[in-house]
Amino acid sequence: MPTALSLAPAELHLAELTEANRPAQLPLLTRIAGLLSASPAVTHLLVRGSLASGTADRLSDVDFVVGVHDRDLPAFTSALNDLMTVAAGALLPGWRDTIVADLGGIGFVFLVQHEGKLQQVDLYIAPASQITALRRKVGGKMLLQRPPAEITTSQIEQAQTHVAELTARPRSCTELLIEHLVLAVLLHKRIQRGQRFVAYAEWHLLHTATKDLIKTALAPTSRFWGWYQLREELVLTPIGRACLADLDAAITSPAVPAAADVNAALDRVIVLTERACPNALDGLADALTAYRTYLELA
Amino acid sequence: MEDAQPTAALSGQIVQLDRLDGSLIERMRHEALTAPAPWKAEYGDFQSGGWWTTSLMNASGDAADVRIADGAARPTALLEHMPATAGLLAELGLNYMWVRLARLEPNAFLWEHRDYDELDQVERHRLHIPLHTNSSAFLVTGGTKVHMGGGRIWRLTPTYAHGVCNLLGPDRIHLIADVYADDAYARLAERAQEPAEAEHLPAASEAELAERLAAARRLADLGYVEAAEQLLLRLFYSYALPEGTAYDLIAGLHTALGDSEANRRWTAAKSKLLALVP
Repeated sequence: MPTALSLAPAELHLAELTEANRPAQLPLLTRIAGLLSASPAVTHLLVRGSLASGTADRLSDVDFVVGVHDRDLPAFTSALNDLMTVAAGALLPGWRDTIVADLGGIGFVFLVQHEGKLQQVDLYIAPASQITALRRKVGGKMLLQRPPAEITTSQIEQAQTHVAELTARPRSCTELLIEHLVLAVLLHKRIQRGQRFVAYAEWHLLHTATKDLIKTALAPTSRFWGWYQLREELVLTPIGRACLADLDAAITSPAVPAAADVNAALDRVIVLTERACPNALDGLADALTAYRTYLELA
Repeated sequence: MEDAQPTAALSGQIVQLDRLDGSLIERMRHEALTAPAPWKAEYGDFQSGGWWTTSLMNASGDAADVRIADGAARPTALLEHMPATAGLLAELGLNYMWVRLARLEPNAFLWEHRDYDELDQVERHRLHIPLHTNSSAFLVTGGTKVHMGGGRIWRLTPTYAHGVCNLLGPDRIHLIADVYADDAYARLAERAQEPAEAEHLPAASEAELAERLAAARRLADLGYVEAAEQLLLRLFYSYALPEGTAYDLIAGLHTALGDSEANRRWTAAKSKLLALVP
């Protein structure tokens, strides 16, 4: 099938133009793909999203499905933060993605510095045994497909149990703080693109994360679901009342935020964290400084 | 874990010298970020990747010549594009052996090492002027972490084992001048002060080291051997360790993996980078 480029007259030098217009994330995608594929435990690499469909813009994330032999899945997820920190330069430990659809695996979002900009790298780690079923549900471009060594029934069960346990594990205050940082990056992207409905949805997720952070810090044994009985459980102490005031400020902000609203929410959450669970900030001071610097440069 | 070996006082390893005019530093920073510099990657064994240098003064006068050696330095063509920087270098009036700009990218490291081993045995000193930096960029020497803040000249004694990192970025850019001792240098050095902000790194407990070794082994078993090595090399920036410990841990990891050739390679790397007498 001839392409537009192959039909162009030979004297037109279009290669350089094509090179100049390639997505800025492509070198990062290549680097992450090369990194992940170095392990024989990785059986599949699938690129999803706009970089697979050719609709990427400068804000697009890098979105992979990573097939991992079922036998190696627990070790792989245990090593992932170290791998992404050391070899990919992730600013923070990965956020366990609660937005991504359940495809039999588990998603993580990393914020990675690339050429002076903060880029979002989504890794959906799926057991190799689930890849065929997963491919029926999601599109994308397969970068790597290695026939896995034999997968036994017990390995499949072990991987499924591991995914279920990871998914069900309560998040710590540090993880919830990181969730805010990742959601703020997503929100800035929605705002710049004018995606108001998605911004509305993610803004609500940010407020919910703030509520979860407060409950994890100050009402960890709460028997009540979600937002129920929050005031009654927290109003007893000055710290609790201050956090309720923060939450009130969050939920009375505009339904669709502007960039300044997102920044104000982040400032509020960091102060709230210092007040309610200061240990959650341990070791994150430089990462927070770098995060803010990259957001300013965005 | 045995305690780190006592080392010389911090003031023998790194000191703050004169403050510089803030507006001058801003002009120098602008020049460093915008001048047409031929950045070169050199000293590959010493770094993770991401350490780039370009010369402002050297014996050849070529900005792309970045492997330092003894000699009388003269300006390179690059320095002609940097009048504020050239003005400061002239004003200091030092006997320059080599002057470089050094750029350390985010997530880049100069591993624990010693410098000057290959040079003539004459008195020389290394001066740093931070032009563009961030709080996650720091030097470790003698188990102490020092962020070289902007706005002043620093003196590093690189014959002590030291390492440098820029964990998170953005880029860190320093002007580095290797200078021969003379009266001008002596006058500058008279105003030496201990670093205002230095952080003694904690000693690593056995449990912490065991956990990090297990993490490295997990990476290596998955096939991420280079990441496993780098994870261990990074311990130098988190803990006060006896000299060369990170290299010993890597060699030990390879022994455990049954790779005697890699063990030999890292044992040799330790000797080379730390300038150990065989």
